[in-house]
Amino acid sequence: MRILVVEDDEIAAEYVRKGLMEAGHVVDLAGDGELGLEMAKSADYDALVLDRMLPKRDGLSLLTELRDDGDATPVLILSALGEVDQKVEGLRAGGDDYLAKPYSFAELLARVEAMGRRSDPTAAVTKLKAGDLEMDLLARTVKRADQKILLQPREFRLLECLMRHAGKVVTRTMLLEKVWDYHFDPQTNVIDVHISRLRAKIDKEFETPMLHTVRGAGYRLQV
Amino acid sequence: MFAPLKRLYRNTIFRLSMIAAAQFALLSLFMLGYIYYATVISELNRVDKEVRVELEDFKKIHKVLGPNGVHEQVIQSMLPVRESLYAYSYQGLPTGNLERLPAFKDDGRAKSVAKFFGQNNSNARTFIYSPFSDGKLGAPPGVHRARGQYIKLSEEEFLFVARDVERLMVKSERITRALIIAMIIAIAMGLLSGLFVAGRFARRVGRLNKLATDVRSGDLQRRAPRDESGDELDVLAEHLNDMLDHIGRLMQAMRYAGDSIAHDLRSPLTRLKTRLESAAMEAKDDGVRETLHSSSDDASELLRTFESVLHIARLETGDRRELLLPLNPNVVIEDIAELYEPSCEDAGLEFALEIEGKHMIRADRGLLSQAVSNLVENAIKYTPRGGAITLRLRKIRSGRVEISVTDTGPGIPPDERQRVKERFVRLEKSRTLPGSGLGLSLVDAIADLHRAKFELSDGPGGPESELPGLRAALVFPRMKKT
Repeated sequence: MRILVVEDDEIAAEYVRKGLMEAGHVVDLAGDGELGLEMAKSADYDALVLDRMLPKRDGLSLLTELRDDGDATPVLILSALGEVDQKVEGLRAGGDDYLAKPYSFAELLARVEAMGRRSDPTAAVTKLKAGDLEMDLLARTVKRADQKILLQPREFRLLECLMRHAGKVVTRTMLLEKVWDYHFDPQTNVIDVHISRLRAKIDKEFETPMLHTVRGAGYRLQV
Repeated sequence: MFAPLKRLYRNTIFRLSMIAAAQFALLSLFMLGYIYYATVISELNRVDKEVRVELEDFKKIHKVLGPNGVHEQVIQSMLPVRESLYAYSYQGLPTGNLERLPAFKDDGRAKSVAKFFGQNNSNARTFIYSPFSDGKLGAPPGVHRARGQYIKLSEEEFLFVARDVERLMVKSERITRALIIAMIIAIAMGLLSGLFVAGRFARRVGRLNKLATDVRSGDLQRRAPRDESGDELDVLAEHLNDMLDHIGRLMQAMRYAGDSIAHDLRSPLTRLKTRLESAAMEAKDDGVRETLHSSSDDASELLRTFESVLHIARLETGDRRELLLPLNPNVVIEDIAELYEPSCEDAGLEFALEIEGKHMIRADRGLLSQAVSNLVENAIKYTPRGGAITLRLRKIRSGRVEISVTDTGPGIPPDERQRVKERFVRLEKSRTLPGSGLGLSLVDAIADLHRAKFELSDGPGGPESELPGLRAALVFPRMKKT
């Protein structure tokens, strides 16, 4: 993916760039809002990482300008303002996802990659496939190697989220947001418990485990 | 009926006016007594004196002119003054205008007069008689009061002289009655005006108290209403407003500082975390990688604590109260139950969800979920294996909606229950468990924002265990119909 990072904190920007590059992406950096807008307009990016507070032009204004211009590039907004209402404001301005500082790089990476995929026209998909795991979104059924697996509704949604991002890391926070619609971090390992239940259903009776825990990041459904 | 009276009694002004009314009543009683004395008693004394003087005159006449002189004098005195009453008995034959006195009528003997009045002739007595109704004396008919004394002029002569005091008595009774009525009216009016002034005072003080409550729950924009009269309450309102302005400025400065710190600290902390993460990714050595991951986790923990403090501070300003929407808590509670049931099972705890009826409260879904989630997580953390946790949603007797989490853990001693809601307060027993001491403070802040009560009490106690358990409840205010 070709990603533009608009961030005035040079050290943070450099780490983000380095991390994204290590994950196999092409990264451009812009240090202020004006430059960021110019670069976003002049080149075709797959995703934009945008700090809310920028010199010369703030992130929301940049985003509004971009959207008014008809540019639909997925945008992840970064901000030190972690309150939910700030988040709503950011999403309303045309952002696709919102990440509050402090974020972990793994979280940022997972979200950027999830966003890049979201822009693919896959919304109308009715069947998901990851390795020998198959999911029918209409019939609400799951099969692995043609063997039917019975899942609770919440487990189904958990697996759906993992399958939509198959091969990529999905963080605990992302799961809480997408599966439960919670925007706070529980203090306990509540997600791990749900994952281990799901794991027991999809991995236990098969030779190769698919659902992996990624230390310091989250989970990945390995194809 | 009883409660408003009690409330009224607590009102300072009403109490003061009650005391004033009581004082007035006492004073009136004294005044009444004095006026009664001045009019009735002194008049009666005057009458008695007059009668005594007349009796002395009769004694002199008897000494000089004998019974005939007395007889003559009685006839003469009887006619001009209507109020004068006489009864003279000589050898059993009565003279005078008091013949109808029952004592005379009975046996017509003077002796009965003595019986009627007793042996002591110096004492004046009030008695009742019926005046002649033949119109000769012009006295009003009926029963009159009179006052008289008698003397024994000789063994066979009795003289009784009296004055009709009916008119005097009626007049003084009229005055007394008027005074009593005036007094009752004055006391009643005193009480009424006391009630009115007390009510006005209570309303004004009530407004100030309401202001204090509103400000305490985060509404710093409120100001006390002023009537510019410059009286004590108005001056108090002015001082309160000045104080609130000052607090507002301080809060703003603090919030600004807090936000700046949040922004300034989060960026370097994020960098630190990112650096640790990428170092962990690059690390070849397993031990080093594990160390870097743990350091990164510690940094996350640090940031989370910092975040929670800021979150609580923001909630406490009450800024987000207008974002609360009518919401059905049933779904929220079911979702939380669904999220935590597996965790409970893993922790060896029995989990029960009890939902009674459908409800509506004004709330923020995210914050409500977070509060209940904190309570459930606390319960899971502290309840020993084999215990039970109950998440309950119901309407309590007052019609308010209550969400409670009950566990069979060690509970919180009553004197610690208020303290644990403060930031960073952790009980001695729980120091060894992970946690920042912010969980209950956050619940408290969220409850405050929702104007809900956050109550901690003893749980039901577990089976075959001495632990009291803990019951944490959020009681939401009834939703106003809009």
